This record gives sequence, structure tokens and C-alpha cells, in this order.
Amino acid sequence: MTGRAVSIELLWDIPIPKALEQTQGWVLCAMQWHGRELVNMLWRILGNEQDVCDAYQDTFLKLAHHEHGCKPENVKAYVFRSANNIAISILRHKLVEKNNLPPRITARRNTNSPAAELDTRYMTEALRAGIAELPEHLRDVVTLHDLGDLPYEQVAKILGITAATARVYRCKAIQLLAVWMRKETR
Amino acid sequence: MWAAKAKTCCRQLRDRVLRLLADSFTPDRHWIQNHIANCPRCQRRLAQLGNVELALSLLKSQPHNLDLLMRANTQAIGVLKHCLRTTPKAEQLRNVRPDMGIIERCARYKHSLANVAACIIIAVVMKSSTFSSAKMLESKGHKAVEHYYASNAGEDIARDIFTTNA
Repeated sequence: MTGRAVSIELLWDIPIPKALEQTQGWVLCAMQWHGRELVNMLWRILGNEQDVCDAYQDTFLKLAHHEHGCKPENVKAYVFRSANNIAISILRHKLVEKNNLPPRITARRNTNSPAAELDTRYMTEALRAGIAELPEHLRDVVTLHDLGDLPYEQVAKILGITAATARVYRCKAIQLLAVWMRKETR
Repeated sequence: MWAAKAKTCCRQLRDRVLRLLADSFTPDRHWIQNHIANCPRCQRRLAQLGNVELALSLLKSQPHNLDLLMRANTQAIGVLKHCLRTTPKAEQLRNVRPDMGIIERCARYKHSLANVAACIIIAVVMKSSTFSSAKMLESKGHKAVEHYYASNAGEDIARDIFTTNA
């Protein structure tokens, strides 16, 4: 027993090989290459800076621990999809929290007036809520193409579909959002 | 092998057809515009779609703090392995500044650039106007001399002199 404890202790003392240290350097490279685009996308999805930082942190933590520290085949796809999923879960959580608040606090203003319809805050909140409700395959295209500013070709590569399919999904998503947003304003 | 080739071919063809259809059915087509102008249902639907596009552009136009990327990087690096946290690249990411576009980067030189451009334009205009004025002066002088010779020495002599000179 003592011998085993000693051997484990010795294991801790073994210096980590330089090569192993460097293998995780790609995490920082990914942060350098995709950080800016990711932050922009997360900001547009979440609209709150602290939430953006949390989602960003979770994304890179997940990347660093992917299959015991192995580099994914397509880092960009992995990072964007993870960030997207994390952001949507945060958004859904916040929406549930908001819906659980007493009606006095969440009381909506009169949205029949043209001025209210053009209220930017109301519109963006309604859109965020709609995006969170979309089916996953449609939502991914909208978030990556419209909020992440990625061209259809890259979106298709990330999601493993064709660019034409991505276009069709985006069209369907916009139609659904239009119907939902109309219902919201009624 | 053959099946894979056929699949790729089908996909390419489908993509091409979809792209063609997308190009032919843009809302700015005359017959679509005509229909929309007379159909309240389509008008409503188009307005709804426009609402979504507007909301999307509003989302895109909302700016965040300039140090958000720096803060996000710092927070993310803070939970990575110690060996990664201490690398020079990590330090660089912690202090990363927002990337300015070429327009913003050139903004400080805009007055100087505007002055240089104005000077160039003035020089070009002056040069062209000077040359055109000189040419005009020359042709007017030529005509005046021709007229003088014509009135004093006769038109035949003047024509001889000036046609041979020309």
C-alpha cells in the first residue's frame, strides 16, 4: 500500500514533457484565430457581456478537454458549434427565469402603436426568444450565418450540409421567426 | 465509386438549379412587384419578413465594449492549464486590442489625405485649364493673323500662307 502511494507520489514529480505541453497550444491558437468572430456572435446571441465571457470560457474549456485533450478534426466547426449551443442554453435559461418572474415585473407595454413596434429593444428581445425556440438545424444556420457573419459555404462546412441546404434552412427559419414575431406583437 | 461520383454530380446539379431559381425569383422582379402591389396577403407576409430582417440588422448593429474580447480571453485563459496560462501567446491574448478596420486606422490621417487629394486635383485642373487656354489663345491668334493677311494682302495669298503652314 505504502509502495503504491510512493509510486503515485513519484508520478506527480515526473516533469511534463515539453511536447505534451505544446500539444495544447492549439487551444490558444484557436482563441487567437476565432476569438473575435466568436465574441461578436455570442454578443449578438446573448446581448450581455458577462454572459458572453461565460459562454466563451465554457467553449474553450470544452475544447481543451475534448477527448482528453486531443485536437478535434475541425477546430473551427467544434468551437463555433459549442459556443452556439452554450449560448443558446444560457439564453433559454434566462428566458425561463424571465417567464417565472411575477407578471407585474414582466408586464409588456402596449405593442399596438407604431412607435412600440419600432422599439429596438423589444424587437431584438423577441427575435432572441424566437431564435432560442427554433429547431436546432434551422437555428444553427441563422446564428452562424446572420449572427456569426459566416458565409453559407463556411456554415455548410461547419454543419456538414451543402450551401444550398443552408440557404433553404435559413429561409425556413426566417419564415418561422416572422410568424412567431407577429404572434408576439398581437 | 460510381455511386459516389453520381451523388456528387447530383449535388452539384441540385446546387446549380437552386442557385438559378434563387436568381430568377428575386423580389425585385417586375411580375412579383406587380403581384405584391395588388395582394394584401403577400404585402402582410413581406412586411413580416422585413420585420425579422430589421430585427436581425438591429441585433448586428448593437455595439459592445471595446475591451470585451480582452475580458473574455482573460476569463477563458484563467481556467486553462497552468502551462498554457503562462505562455507569451496567452499574455498577448490577454492584452489583445480590438482590430480596427482600414478606415478607422486611416482616420487620423484623413485631414492630411484630404489636403493632398485637394492639391492633386487643383494641380490637375490647373494644368488642364492652362493647356486648354494656351491652345485657345494660339488658335485665336492664328485666326487673327489670317484675317489680317486676308484683308490686306488678299485671300488667295493668305490661304496659301496658312494652308502651307498648317
